[in-house]
Amino acid sequence: MIRKTAAVWAGKATGTLSRVTRRGGGTTLPGDVARAIDPKILTRLAQDLTYGSIVITGTNGKTTTARLVSYLLEGAGHRVVSNRAGANLIFGATAAALDRAGADGRLRADWGVFEIDEASLPRAVDEIQPRATLVLNLFRDQLDRYGELESIAKKIEQALSTLPEGARAVLNADDPRVAEIGLGLPYRPLWYGLDDVSIAAKTLPHAADARTCPRCGASLIFDAVYVGHDGVYRCPNGDFARPEPDLRATDIKLNGFESLALTIAGTRIELPLGGLYNCYNVLAAYAVAYSVGLEPQYIADRLKTFKPAFGRQERVEFRGRHLVLVLSKNPAGFNETVRTAVDLAKGTNYILGLNDRKADGTDVSWIWDVDFEQLKDRARVVIPAGVRAHDLAVRLKYAGVKAEAPETDPGKALDVLIKNTDEGDTAYVLCTYTAMLDIRAELVRRGWAQPYWET
Amino acid sequence: MGAAILGNMRFTVGWLYPDLMNIYGDRGNILTLLKRAEWHGLEPHLVELGRGAAAEMQDVDVFFFGGGQDREQALIYDDLRQYKQESLQRAVDDGVQILAVCGGYQLLGHYYQTADGERFDGIGMLDVKTEAGKKRFIGDVVVQTGIEGMVPDTLVGFENHSGRTFLGPGAKPLGKVLMGKGNNGSDKTEGAVQGNIIGTYLHGSLLPKNPHLADYVIGKALKRRGDGALSHLDDSAELAAHGWILQRAQRR
Ligand SMILES: [Zn+2]
Repeated sequence: MIRKTAAVWAGKATGTLSRVTRRGGGTTLPGDVARAIDPKILTRLAQDLTYGSIVITGTNGKTTTARLVSYLLEGAGHRVVSNRAGANLIFGATAAALDRAGADGRLRADWGVFEIDEASLPRAVDEIQPRATLVLNLFRDQLDRYGELESIAKKIEQALSTLPEGARAVLNADDPRVAEIGLGLPYRPLWYGLDDVSIAAKTLPHAADARTCPRCGASLIFDAVYVGHDGVYRCPNGDFARPEPDLRATDIKLNGFESLALTIAGTRIELPLGGLYNCYNVLAAYAVAYSVGLEPQYIADRLKTFKPAFGRQERVEFRGRHLVLVLSKNPAGFNETVRTAVDLAKGTNYILGLNDRKADGTDVSWIWDVDFEQLKDRARVVIPAGVRAHDLAVRLKYAGVKAEAPETDPGKALDVLIKNTDEGDTAYVLCTYTAMLDIRAELVRRGWAQPYWET
Repeated sequence: MGAAILGNMRFTVGWLYPDLMNIYGDRGNILTLLKRAEWHGLEPHLVELGRGAAAEMQDVDVFFFGGGQDREQALIYDDLRQYKQESLQRAVDDGVQILAVCGGYQLLGHYYQTADGERFDGIGMLDVKTEAGKKRFIGDVVVQTGIEGMVPDTLVGFENHSGRTFLGPGAKPLGKVLMGKGNNGSDKTEGAVQGNIIGTYLHGSLLPKNPHLADYVIGKALKRRGDGALSHLDDSAELAAHGWILQRAQRR
């Protein structure tokens, strides 16, 4: 117990210090320090929670979904501890728990809601012993570590096989890789999926990567495609198909980046976030909230007032111009944000930002699988930005999209965008993770946006 | 004179296993071949060659063979031998070009040997063999190409492979590694050229940032039809992206 208290104190001191020195909002360093003193610190803190933890993993949508779940729990009067600001490694979860621990070393909260990256899930399940584990999707992400995806899927399956007594696994039935994991479990998970052919595509986008049957290798048949390789699929040989969802979203209405609406088991849900990918996020959050006992009508009422996280459809105003910041970090994600911006929001002005730092993935080859052709003849101003702006410029040239000169300096990219955007108009900033950090830092420097740990 | 003759000429790209061997954005090579053919005044045409018997293989001017994951790669071994090998060999003998990247490069060689010593036979059209190494080679690559007369004489790309490929006497390296690991990390070679086949580990995609290599492949494919002269295109955007990688390489 003394060790736990010492670890909590050391971690908390580190957190304060790193916030004061402005080194990244103090999101993971305290976790490193506390774990060095007491390696079991997260397990001990998680045991202090009144009801337990919810762990959320998947390639796309973790941050938004975790925030939705926290928002639902908080609105119901629960004290929630969660790892915000994108620090979704196990150290970030530890740091978040430390931040909320009292001087006696005890964590005073009812629920933990932790977003955990796919590779860390086994460790997180082992240390946190969650009440519910949510797997959103498994897309091709950072290519420079892509070789690991097969083994990550195996690890997730193992982790889910050893959930504590009474714990739930909540899985996306529409994702063939997630379904493959779920169908191999010794129990039946809670499946969710979309059911509205009116908003579905019939063919897979180029970014799709789970095209074959895990049992026999045949090419899967997709009766509906929603996001990336997520949809309604079956093997022609009949040995693998999308599991029947327990919770399904129907009557989907999409209104640009403004809002969406859908019906889950008779309850109409409206959310002030746009994009088909957020239908998955809100359905997943609903499934988790429902599985821990929140009432459908309460969920619907509460979601109407939700606010997005940093860089996820965040809005910034500048001299009458509206900027919408949308994180776009891999082929499936970028395809969807471009589709939403062009088709649903009728956007004409864009910064597209591509960096190749470690957090973005150092291989940028994937931009050739994003269907930037969607912008052709529909976008008026497109500014290729970020460290790899020149690569984006070439990609746009071969997509037949007329673009401005590539701009590696975020400030200059913003200047060109503002110059070309009329008062009252909206412009879209679609960027990879650190490219978004760079643009945002510039917005903060100019006083147009708040530092992210204050929002 | 080229444009007038090329104007009515169809140019066909054959994409081997587009659904299974396209994990590293290698589709950029297809887009580049098709677009540049169009800009050169040709009529571009794409043939997708998935699993199963392949029609239209005899019409192809350039084949592209990309990289996949182990799981997907295992699904095409038999198909490649059963339905594609014979047509590919006949095409190459006739002057058709093949560009193969990463997994496709390995499969055109004699074999790939896993870390456990298990051997997967390739189709042996390239005199190379590949064995799995412990460490994965991941990062930017700059190569000085051995192809004569190519301007610029550098190729840039991104490698991501654990295979160590060694060339036999029948194959020549595509170039010398200036930065990165290349074929095996030990002999400073990258890729292989053998007759009308080019194999390489470079993703990126390769051709968009190396337009000179793209035109070299297109021009060579056209030669067998009597005309390899291509018009001059404005490659300033492509070469700026190429040059940016060279500059960063020099700073490191
Ligand atoms: Zn099957």
